[in-house]
Amino acid sequence: MAIIITVVVLLVVVTGVQILKIAELRAISQGEKIYEVTEKESKSQAYLLLMFLVYYFGFFAWQVYQWGDKMLPVSASEHGVGIDSLMTVTMSFIIPVFIITHILLFWFAFKYSYSSKRKATFFSHSNKLEMIWTIIPSLALTVLILYGLSNWNKIMTPVAENEEHVLIELVGQQFSWGARYAGEDGKLGRANVNYIEGTNFIGIDASDANSNDDVVVKGEFHLPVNVPVQFVMRSNDVMHSAFMPHFRAQMNCVPGLKTQFNFVPTITTKEMKEITGNEDFEYILLCNKICGAAHYNMQMNIVVESKEDYEKWIASQKTFAAK
Amino acid sequence: MSSITIENINSKAELKRKTAKPLLWIGIVSIIMFFSGWTSAVIVSKGGAPDWLNINLPLAFTYSTVIIVISSLLFHFGLIAIKKDNKNLLKILVLLTLICGISFVVSQFLGWKSLYNNGIVATGSESTNASSYLYLITAFHVLHLLAGIISLIVVSVKSFLGKYNSTNFLGVELSLIYWHFLGALWIYLFFFLKYIA
Amino acid sequence: MSTHHHHQEDFLFKYIFSTDHKMIAKQFMITGFIMGFIGMIMSTLFRLQLGWPGESFWLIDTLMGSWAENGVMAPDKYLSLVTMHGTIMVFFLLTAGLSGTFSNLLIPLQIGARDMASGFLNMLSYWFFFLSSIIMLISLGVEGGAASAGWTIYPPLSALPQAIPGSGLGMTLWLVAMSIFIVSSLLGSLNYIVTILNLRTKGMSMTRLPLTIWAFLLTAIIGVLSFPVLLAAALLLVFDRSFGTSFYLSDIYIGGQVLEHTGGSPILFEHLFWFLGHPEVYIVLLPALGITSEIISTMSRKPIFGYRAMIGSMMAIAFLSFLVWGHHMFVTGMNPFLGAVFTFTTLLIAIPSAVKVFNYLTTLWKGNIIYSPAALFSIGLVSTFISGGVTGLVLGDSALDINVHDTYFVIGHFHIVMGLSAVFGMYAGVYHWFPKMFGRMMNNKLGNLHFWVTIVSTYGVFFPMHFLGLAGVPRRYYTNSEFPLFDNLVDINELISMFAIIAALGQLLFLFNFLYSALRGPKAPKNPWRANSLEWTTPVEHIHGNWYGDIPEVHRWPYDYSKVDENGDYVGGEDFIPQTTPLGENENDGGH
Repeated sequence: MAIIITVVVLLVVVTGVQILKIAELRAISQGEKIYEVTEKESKSQAYLLLMFLVYYFGFFAWQVYQWGDKMLPVSASEHGVGIDSLMTVTMSFIIPVFIITHILLFWFAFKYSYSSKRKATFFSHSNKLEMIWTIIPSLALTVLILYGLSNWNKIMTPVAENEEHVLIELVGQQFSWGARYAGEDGKLGRANVNYIEGTNFIGIDASDANSNDDVVVKGEFHLPVNVPVQFVMRSNDVMHSAFMPHFRAQMNCVPGLKTQFNFVPTITTKEMKEITGNEDFEYILLCNKICGAAHYNMQMNIVVESKEDYEKWIASQKTFAAK
Repeated sequence: MSSITIENINSKAELKRKTAKPLLWIGIVSIIMFFSGWTSAVIVSKGGAPDWLNINLPLAFTYSTVIIVISSLLFHFGLIAIKKDNKNLLKILVLLTLICGISFVVSQFLGWKSLYNNGIVATGSESTNASSYLYLITAFHVLHLLAGIISLIVVSVKSFLGKYNSTNFLGVELSLIYWHFLGALWIYLFFFLKYIA
Repeated sequence: MSTHHHHQEDFLFKYIFSTDHKMIAKQFMITGFIMGFIGMIMSTLFRLQLGWPGESFWLIDTLMGSWAENGVMAPDKYLSLVTMHGTIMVFFLLTAGLSGTFSNLLIPLQIGARDMASGFLNMLSYWFFFLSSIIMLISLGVEGGAASAGWTIYPPLSALPQAIPGSGLGMTLWLVAMSIFIVSSLLGSLNYIVTILNLRTKGMSMTRLPLTIWAFLLTAIIGVLSFPVLLAAALLLVFDRSFGTSFYLSDIYIGGQVLEHTGGSPILFEHLFWFLGHPEVYIVLLPALGITSEIISTMSRKPIFGYRAMIGSMMAIAFLSFLVWGHHMFVTGMNPFLGAVFTFTTLLIAIPSAVKVFNYLTTLWKGNIIYSPAALFSIGLVSTFISGGVTGLVLGDSALDINVHDTYFVIGHFHIVMGLSAVFGMYAGVYHWFPKMFGRMMNNKLGNLHFWVTIVSTYGVFFPMHFLGLAGVPRRYYTNSEFPLFDNLVDINELISMFAIIAALGQLLFLFNFLYSALRGPKAPKNPWRANSLEWTTPVEHIHGNWYGDIPEVHRWPYDYSKVDENGDYVGGEDFIPQTTPLGENENDGGH
């Protein structure tokens, strides 16, 4: 195999050299300066640029058409709706900008390609024009920034203590997730890597009374629909990132640090199966921060269900003390 | 830095005269950024650690500070001397500066020794971030100071060989700028470590 | 005998330990290209894996050997490849290869200097770069494999060999190589700044500098301010790894035991890293923008529109680049208020960027554009700068970033806006200044073909990645086939991989053209592009000192193209007026 490839490469190189030599000799014999770009050549490149514009937009449209329905389905969380509409607003700003500037770029590139009959216009600056394209983007950006930040502040505000909510701790470790529910007292017991032992893989301190009713699950965790969920994230070893794309939720898990995120799930798994038309649909928690060899396979299923179903499920789980 | 526009550069000496100082200054800027990286890191680390250990700096570090200020002054007088063509005074002052520089290093070592004797160590399970930073930052200052000491040695050898006079003292100036910078850097680090870290 | 000896010495100092900026530029370029090709081959390998996961490939088998049993790469070796691809492309190709090459070549030539401020430091800069490249390549062959924690080497993954094999010797060598690289980069930047500020020829005021020089100056300033901080961050990591400190480490349970480290924070590393990391983006991008500004103006036979606004916007970008690093850390649990501040500063960068784009468009408007390969790549750069730039508004917005952070959307964004733009700028520069470097011309037709293959295939690689990102696919995944969620995205991945292979093959056109033209290309005239700037007044053959006799004096800015008098005739009779031509009587100098 290697020999064949070497031979082929050599042949291609030799042929290439010969072709170039012949082309150059021909050009010289016709009295052309071979280094110069002729008007004709320049023109044909200009046509190609214009064709490229059409191709590029066509490629863009084809992708939207072909893959548009493969994007994430409608947001399954309350704040996610805000993010999605912010995304729509941003997209409806940047796509026209992208299209208009590209039309201008390639149209100018085509229209003003070299002609020996024409002179370029000496136009070196215009304060007015430059003011215009400083101010217009500034205004558009102001809108985007304000809209974005109002969303951001809402998302980042933790669930109030006195509000009804579910408190869950997500713990990442190479290469699996654990979820711990605060239980009836609504408080998570103390936990630290020093307490990790046997099945107590997230290091709960058994001497803390708050730990007793904590519920630890692996593989899959459940959420009640329309109830705020407050997540606390931790990591046992390296950095991970708890990414729940359907809920538009993501937060890094940092060893030695607690981070938090919260959202209100609004669509149950069952409803989402209907929305997507996919019988096998499952919500998923992924790791989205490079964490080692099996990073690509660090996942946990999420089930969103009615409050009654959720309560049944949580009651069927063993508490930390019972284990 | 002046932005002199020049017609022509004909000799290497001329080139050096025009560019050596700016090169040194920009080099100093990058060293400043290096240490600001670490001192900012100290602030970030301290902010994230409620149990941050406040370390009392050993007395030796205070002596070091005094020594390095004196050395800077001595060296500065050396530059004034050579500008007046007083070659012998330069020799004496440069040598004194060199002695001060070495005493500074010795004093730093004494400082580390007394820290160590008080159980404040740089690494391992007994160490804390506060102590690691303290050793690291002071040690890297000494590393940069060693470059200064080498330049002092070069300047003193050259001054004993009589290479400098009132028209040719660029080497002394360059070495002096760097030495002043090391002094200023130490004073900054000293107060930073004493009051902020 | 003695002549023979003398000749040998000559060779050594002319080609190897040269202090001539033109030779050092070529050394940077060739080393950078070799690294770039290695980085590209790596990307082809992991694209094969991503396009057809688990399938055996002869190429993978041959090149990766024991890291890929039966031609299928191991998951941690996939991570080695992406890490080394990123490191090599960002630092070795697009920092040293781009800015090292063109700063060295053009600064003395375009400002009218005999050489750099310090030829010796310049030579040292190259040799540190060379050494660093060698060490980085050696790290590919060590036990445990090369560094595998991503080019951003976040601890604790990068600090603990227990976490991934690549964090052993491979990571150590990475850190050594990068430290040497930083020294090289600093020595280079020092030289560039001082040369530009102090060694300009008579008449070359700051407002008569070509925009290339402005770009190199700002790049060097950013480098001097940000690279030391990366060194500071890397050293703390070295101490954590090897000397038992805990700057970045805390509360870690790995390999069945709790580590002794307490009190540190990986977030600290991210702060320090991105304080360099974001300015680094502009270290990569600004030289490319400078190069295109020069080429677009020359080839459209028109002055660059808004010269001062171009400088102003580059300054604004350089300044803002130091205030935006936090946008890489929106989801690290940072204070939401800080997140808001970083959103604000980040989106501000869009303003100077928009100014640059519109100024490029206006420069083309009513021009008389000659399409050399350099001109095509410059147009390509404007296109990639827009296409990749607009998605920055999505990623820079903290609320939107939550769901696209670390997904393929990011990969698409930065490969287009930074990777492609910088690569296009670099190619444009090589095609344009090749005659200055080698005294020969490159083949235009082959160059044009290279451009078309490159732009079509690279957009084909990176544009679809936005869709993967919006579908929620995380980056740095060895395969996307482990989730039912991503099963319907197989065809996108295959398409991307096919384009990647075409893109890689397309670069062979360039390689061939480059080698052929350097050795046998037609001899170049003194000023092939009929350009104004000073480098085209030097003799075609390289001489140490650049000009025979005195350095020419400069009388005007470099963008007097197609300047006409009141009768509509070209001033000076040609559509260009070299900077060395004195102003005519009654001629307006346009404020320069």
